[in-house]
Amino acid sequence: MTIHLWQAFLIGVVYYLGQMGTPWVSLAGTHTIMRPLVNGALVGLILGDPVKGTIFGAAIQLPFLAWIGAGGAVPMDTALAGTLGTALGMASNVSPSVAITLAVPISLIGTMIWVLHMTVDITFVHMADTAAEKGDLKRIDLLHVWPPQITMFVFSVVPAMLAAYYGAGPVKTVIGGLSGTPLHVLTVIGGLLPALGIAMNLQAMTGKGTLMFFLLGFMLAVYSKLPILAIAVFAVIIAYIYTTLYLKKGSENA
Amino acid sequence: MSDKEEIEKEVLPSENNPDAKKISKKEVVKAFWRWTFFSHANYNYERLQATGVVFALSPILKHLYGNDQDAMKEALKRHMQFFNTEPHFGGAILGMTIAMEEEKSNGAPITNDTINGLKTGLMGPLAGIGDTLWQGTLIPILLSFTIGFASKGNILMGPVLFAVLHLGIIWSIGYFSWMQGYSLGKEGIAKVLQGSLLPTVMTFAQCMGPIVIGALSATFVKVSSPLKIQLGKSVLKVQSGILDKLVLGLLPLGITLLAYYLLKRKFKPTTVVLILVLIGVIGGAFYII
Repeated sequence: MTIHLWQAFLIGVVYYLGQMGTPWVSLAGTHTIMRPLVNGALVGLILGDPVKGTIFGAAIQLPFLAWIGAGGAVPMDTALAGTLGTALGMASNVSPSVAITLAVPISLIGTMIWVLHMTVDITFVHMADTAAEKGDLKRIDLLHVWPPQITMFVFSVVPAMLAAYYGAGPVKTVIGGLSGTPLHVLTVIGGLLPALGIAMNLQAMTGKGTLMFFLLGFMLAVYSKLPILAIAVFAVIIAYIYTTLYLKKGSENA
Repeated sequence: MSDKEEIEKEVLPSENNPDAKKISKKEVVKAFWRWTFFSHANYNYERLQATGVVFALSPILKHLYGNDQDAMKEALKRHMQFFNTEPHFGGAILGMTIAMEEEKSNGAPITNDTINGLKTGLMGPLAGIGDTLWQGTLIPILLSFTIGFASKGNILMGPVLFAVLHLGIIWSIGYFSWMQGYSLGKEGIAKVLQGSLLPTVMTFAQCMGPIVIGALSATFVKVSSPLKIQLGKSVLKVQSGILDKLVLGLLPLGITLLAYYLLKRKFKPTTVVLILVLIGVIGGAFYII
């Protein structure tokens, strides 16, 4: 599969819309599009196979399950990982696990784009300060939206477009040259990396007994072979009982 | 009771003044949508959401201080201060800010410090609660539901369902929080924080979250051993013959717990990636895994 220039441009636009805080789709909207689950499907749509894009996106999503952008820090660029990972994975016709291995380093490179834009935006705050001195509300409204968003558009679309357009060839050659052990290693790594996302998510949960509940869910899934949705229903019931008992005990002690 | 009413009347001059400036519900809602969409449009390392606050409150400030240039300058400087919170749960802070600005413009004794103290005092706790519940709990749980369908190529139950549920839930929370903040004013947030609703929701999330994550780990972390041991004429497969008989899923569980342990020991996520890659390279090259 070849990626045409217009397709590469649109992939760049999807990446821009998935940059945290881009106003056109709201903050929660960017938090939707930045997930590889969603942007993988959009890239698939652009490349003419949304089903395949969805499958790739779902795979690439796993290492970024617990991605949290808080306090202005972004540990990994999941939007770039999902868009480029899906595009390059589909173009070079590899398995989704190999695409995971591709996507993780991409996500680390992408954080540089974030740092750049968070730094450049400081200029516009200082310009807004000057406008505030004059009581010019209208100017602050303009400064808040247009200069940072035009900068962000250029910073996002250009590198993503170039990588999607020129990257597919080299990636295809490299992966085509791999077979046997190197490909096995890439697939193994793709199977291991989801553990990071899960571990980060566990770490973010600060309640009592996190590890016990985690083990419960894991063992339930392994031995019952039930789908996650069914286990989630059990989880709701268990959480209901636990919460009721836990809070009752708390109020008795108090 | 009558004392309290008197105090409230004193603090809220708009109540007994027919000429007082009154913010309409429509304006409050408009400010909410401006915030929901534009809070992070000029996010930056120096003051984070500062210009986002001014942009969101813009119609309110124009209504209240449009005819008073000095008051406008003061208001703009007041809100150009550092501000950073989780915008949906933390929207309550700006709802309250609107209520305070409304009273201030009508002559209530509210100073710059009161408004800024409220904003900076509440932004941290609400960011902590908001990010835990939103990015740490809601999103992973929604993803867990939908990833299973998506990995089989189901677009509707995968990405589409995720987007609809995510936006529906988080916008509702944001709207509720913003409007509550405005209508309850300064006491509002304290009421919610002290009430029983919050610990209930947090405890529930802290129990349900890890169970679902555990199931997810079992399904999606893929490690198995292709090792075979020659025992005379028969071949013992390490995976099916030994590991699976001990505990099913021992290797994926071990890898996940290793990553968790490393993070707990303050390893950076990037370092953990490197360690996992290293395990993959060594284990894969020798066909141990």
